[in-house]
Amino acid sequence: MSNTWYLYLFFAAALIGAGVLGLLGKRNLIKLFIAIEVLGKGISLILMGTGLAKASLLTAQALVITYIVIEVSLVATALALIINVYRQTKSLDVRGLSKLKG
Amino acid sequence: MILQTALLIGLVIFSVLAIVLRDLLKSAISLAVASLLLGIIFFRMKAPYAGAFEISVVAGLITVLFVLTIALTKSGDDVRESKIANWVFPLVFVAFIVIDALVMKSLLGKVPALPAAAEAGGFGDVLWRGRTLDLIGQIAAILAGVFAVLALFRKKDKHE
Repeated sequence: MSNTWYLYLFFAAALIGAGVLGLLGKRNLIKLFIAIEVLGKGISLILMGTGLAKASLLTAQALVITYIVIEVSLVATALALIINVYRQTKSLDVRGLSKLKG
Repeated sequence: MILQTALLIGLVIFSVLAIVLRDLLKSAISLAVASLLLGIIFFRMKAPYAGAFEISVVAGLITVLFVLTIALTKSGDDVRESKIANWVFPLVFVAFIVIDALVMKSLLGKVPALPAAAEAGGFGDVLWRGRTLDLIGQIAAILAGVFAVLALFRKKDKHE
């Protein structure tokens, strides 16, 4: 079981690494949000893998479901914000947001 | 275990594709496939409720929201990504995977998962009795999302 836990941790770390690199390197707002989604998948995998290793899978499932519900709310709000930013700046470039400086 | 590892490799590949691909629509579809694979992984971990939520909500609903946003922001593909970042991303990611593998190999067996208290009852008992506050938080998060979207798409009053 312990080796399986490390396998899940390894792949979860890979997902989190990809997400962080995407956040650092991309400029498109939708791409940045996709990177956040990938990061979230890594977190879900860590929660579930640890739940499996600790034999507390039901609690892990409850936590993952809570995370998914919060994720939906976050996605809806963030995409609405992105659409509004696009209407204002006619671009999805994150550098265009520097115009919002006071 | 081989199938589970193959699914995990597929999950990482499609997640990386979602970030790397230039076409936003292809990125969204890659993300949906990654969610689908994660849902199947959850099912195989004997976590059917989380798997069903992952497939129906994340692979379904969130993908629809992404595709809708991409359709509403047609010239979104025009954003010029940094050329250096396009080169650096694969290199740094491969280096990260190697370091990740080395660290996990060195930790293997040294850091065991701490034992947890035994869970009583079924999933319903754990969710409704053990995690009641989480459910209240979920309701608050959904309401916050609904009001935020309503506020962001509010029409101007005639007097403004």
